[in-house]
Amino acid sequence: MGKSTQPTLLQGTLDLLILHALQRGAMHGYAVAQTIHLLSDEVLKVEEGSLYPALWRLELDGAITSKSGLSENNRKAKFYQITRHGRKLVAEQEATWSRLSAAVGRVLGG
Amino acid sequence: MRRFFLKLFRRSAMQQQIEAELAFHRDMAARHDNAIPLGNTAVIGEYGYDLWRFTFLENLWRDLVYGARGLRRSPVLVLTALLSLGLGIGVNAAMFSLGVEFLFSEPSVRDAGSLVSVQLGGNSNSPAQVADFLRSSGLFADVTGEDEEAVTNFNDGDVTRPVFSVYTAKNYFTMLGVPMLHGRGILIDDPNEVAVLSYAFWQKQFGSDPAAVGRTLNLNGRMCTVVGILPEHHRTLIGFGYSPDVFLPQYLETTTLALYARLKPGMSIPAARVGLAAVARRMDAEMPAHYKYADAVRVSPIAGFARLQSESEMLAVGVFFALLLAVTGLVLLIACVNVASLLLARASSRRREIATRLALGASRGRLLQQLLAESLLLSLLGAAMGVALAEATAVLLARVHLPMPIPIRLQIEPDWRLAIYAAVLTTFAALACGLLPAWQSMKQSLIQDLRRESRMRLRRTLVAAQIAVSVIVLTTGFLFLRNLLDSTAISPGFDVLHTVRANVNMPPVGYADPAKKDEYIHRVVDSLAALPGVESAAAARVVPFNGGERFMVGIVFADNREQRHAFFFWNGVTPGYFHTMGIPLLQGRTFSAADHGEKVVIVNRAFVAHYLGNRRPVGTVFLWGADGKTPYRIIGVAEGTKTLTIGEEPQPQLYEPLAQIVNDRQGIEFVMRSAIPPALQLETVRRTLHKIEPMAGAQVNTMYSSIGLAFLPSQVGALLMGSTGLLGLLLATIGLYGVMAYSVARRTREIGVRIAIGASRAAIARMVLRDSALVTIAGTAIGLAVALFVTKPLAMFLVPGLKPADPLNFAAVALAMLLTGLAATLGPVRRAVNIDPNATLRDE
Repeated sequence: MGKSTQPTLLQGTLDLLILHALQRGAMHGYAVAQTIHLLSDEVLKVEEGSLYPALWRLELDGAITSKSGLSENNRKAKFYQITRHGRKLVAEQEATWSRLSAAVGRVLGG
Repeated sequence: MRRFFLKLFRRSAMQQQIEAELAFHRDMAARHDNAIPLGNTAVIGEYGYDLWRFTFLENLWRDLVYGARGLRRSPVLVLTALLSLGLGIGVNAAMFSLGVEFLFSEPSVRDAGSLVSVQLGGNSNSPAQVADFLRSSGLFADVTGEDEEAVTNFNDGDVTRPVFSVYTAKNYFTMLGVPMLHGRGILIDDPNEVAVLSYAFWQKQFGSDPAAVGRTLNLNGRMCTVVGILPEHHRTLIGFGYSPDVFLPQYLETTTLALYARLKPGMSIPAARVGLAAVARRMDAEMPAHYKYADAVRVSPIAGFARLQSESEMLAVGVFFALLLAVTGLVLLIACVNVASLLLARASSRRREIATRLALGASRGRLLQQLLAESLLLSLLGAAMGVALAEATAVLLARVHLPMPIPIRLQIEPDWRLAIYAAVLTTFAALACGLLPAWQSMKQSLIQDLRRESRMRLRRTLVAAQIAVSVIVLTTGFLFLRNLLDSTAISPGFDVLHTVRANVNMPPVGYADPAKKDEYIHRVVDSLAALPGVESAAAARVVPFNGGERFMVGIVFADNREQRHAFFFWNGVTPGYFHTMGIPLLQGRTFSAADHGEKVVIVNRAFVAHYLGNRRPVGTVFLWGADGKTPYRIIGVAEGTKTLTIGEEPQPQLYEPLAQIVNDRQGIEFVMRSAIPPALQLETVRRTLHKIEPMAGAQVNTMYSSIGLAFLPSQVGALLMGSTGLLGLLLATIGLYGVMAYSVARRTREIGVRIAIGASRAAIARMVLRDSALVTIAGTAIGLAVALFVTKPLAMFLVPGLKPADPLNFAAVALAMLLTGLAATLGPVRRAVNIDPNATLRDE
């Protein structure tokens, strides 16, 4: 196996990414993965095995809700939508994240 | 919380949803040329289900079902376990219910928490005017009163008999808010001739006919209209299950009432006490009595825990029940050890199963949960059986008329307190039964070598511990049995074997005047003394063990003006009382008909010791009386008698001649000394009394049976503790038998070989017996050593002279234990001796 150039996600950032993606509007799980993939300039790939457990957990926690709807190709799919509580979480976590990344940047850059 | 409801309502749809969602994802990915790598969908699905499940509860349910299936295959184990746990939990639940009813039951009134009992001047009862004064003082929201220990003559048209009754102030029912079954309570505007009946009296007299309301009864020679019937589960203010037959308005001036007051909202008891003291001082100024109202003012709660704290006699009852619960708790522990021992034996057969589960990756916590589910199942079933058993006993007990001189009906019903207690017991039992076997079987699945030997050793240790615990339980039981025997042998201070007692209640009509009463009493004493076979007869206000009038007064000695606060039991008697009762006079003389003018008293030895100091008792004069200035001369000193309980030391007593006091009571006691067995006199005495006054209710008994109440505490103690002790012994026997039987079964092959190579049957029997004796003796020795310490506090319940560390008692317990051990081993010994060596060797 060759050395992986695929950066692995830091613990806890997946939730943030999912919530962030969902701020753009309701979408199904596959679209969430795609959105994250595209927004990261195709650097981040979210595996099904982490994506869905994370979505279900967030739903149980009340950060997102779900309802069924029709996908772009007219198939029945489960659409996730961010809640008020979810938006609050995003704001908090984004602030934390930017503080953290700035700090890491300073350490590496300095 | 949100999670909980989401899970609850949406879980059923989850499984399909999860699968559909993952399938959709895979389709989309395929369409986009598998841009996203696939994971293991099965694992993701599992994760999803777990999120949506109540994992713990569902596992528990599965374990219970699994446990039930496993247990169904071992019916003997289940039966033994259920019997042990059922009896163990049952006896606990029964004693708990009994204790709760005795200690914490609330009387059947509205808002019992705001009711208080009020006492003035150290007297339990006060005249009705005091109640009126208190009410008008405005200190309390309302005040009422009752004479709770009264007796009324009830004539059913044929015979007159005394019935227990309560004389109430007329606002009693409305102020307390007593719930009624039929009709209504007594109202303030009612005439005096009305009555409220207890459920039991109504049932007996009117056959539970609701039309009884409005009918009339002949009570004390007055025709009283029945206005209401109390419900079956009525609890009186006194509590303890005391259930009098009729409630009547107080109609005699002389009746004194125990006072009850309702606190104003927000008023605390200490505040009420302060307020009451002020009112009492005003009362002393405005309506002086022969004692000071403000002397000893008491305001105490009538129900619940607060009552326990405020009454010292209640405290002893509380301690007794706490002790009882501790002992029954030990019995449950014995039962649990039985079950643990059985489960331990079973664990060896499950060794392979558990090893496999561990190898397949079951977590140890999960495995422990599974093993404990089994014991939880057993304890749940045991608890159900136990509570059912306890309730059946309570119902049965309620039906049985208790052989007591006063009507006691305990209203034991299952309630939330019992439910909580049963739940706690069940959890405790499940852990006590299951934890050790579960832990053992897990440990041993890992360490195969230790296996059977250590498990057998563990079971033996358990049985030895069990025997030790039963020794403690049994010692307690034996102590209370001994207490019963000893207390019946104790002399109460007067002759109970040759005496007859007649409790007569003079009809108020025609006997209101004290002079009329005195005349009647004289006539009866003379007629009784003239009966053939009667040596002497006398009258007294009270006889010992049937209540006592206790006085707390200030007396002043005439010689040096020394003032003492004296606290004594007071009685009024005729001159023949001491001779008739067989109470020795130590100094001086008894009363005589010539004692006129100067007031004379006889005191007992304890009175002399407590209050007289160095004075020569006979001839000492002290000042006392309504005005505190009347001189009383001591003319004799009598030996003391017990007054309330058989175990007590005689308290100070003071006797006055009956002729010297104002006879304000309708009740009077007659005692006779009989030369023939007193039981033969009863009918003659009844006839004589009836001839003199047919309207007087009379209860005639031998003295021995009429003081039965005095033995009640020791009888109840012996009954409860003794039966608990026996139960403990029975359970321990089952345990020992089980272990010995198992041990023999396990060694069948070994014993077969021994017999085959020439061991005699006697040697085999000795071997098994030695095995059991070792366990029994070790357990008994440890138990006795522990019992020596833990039974020490029991001394407060025992009659003087009987010590908890009584060697005879311990010897009896040890003997009982060894005999039981032997009995439990006989079966296994027989089986061991009858082992057929050929059969065992062929199996090989």
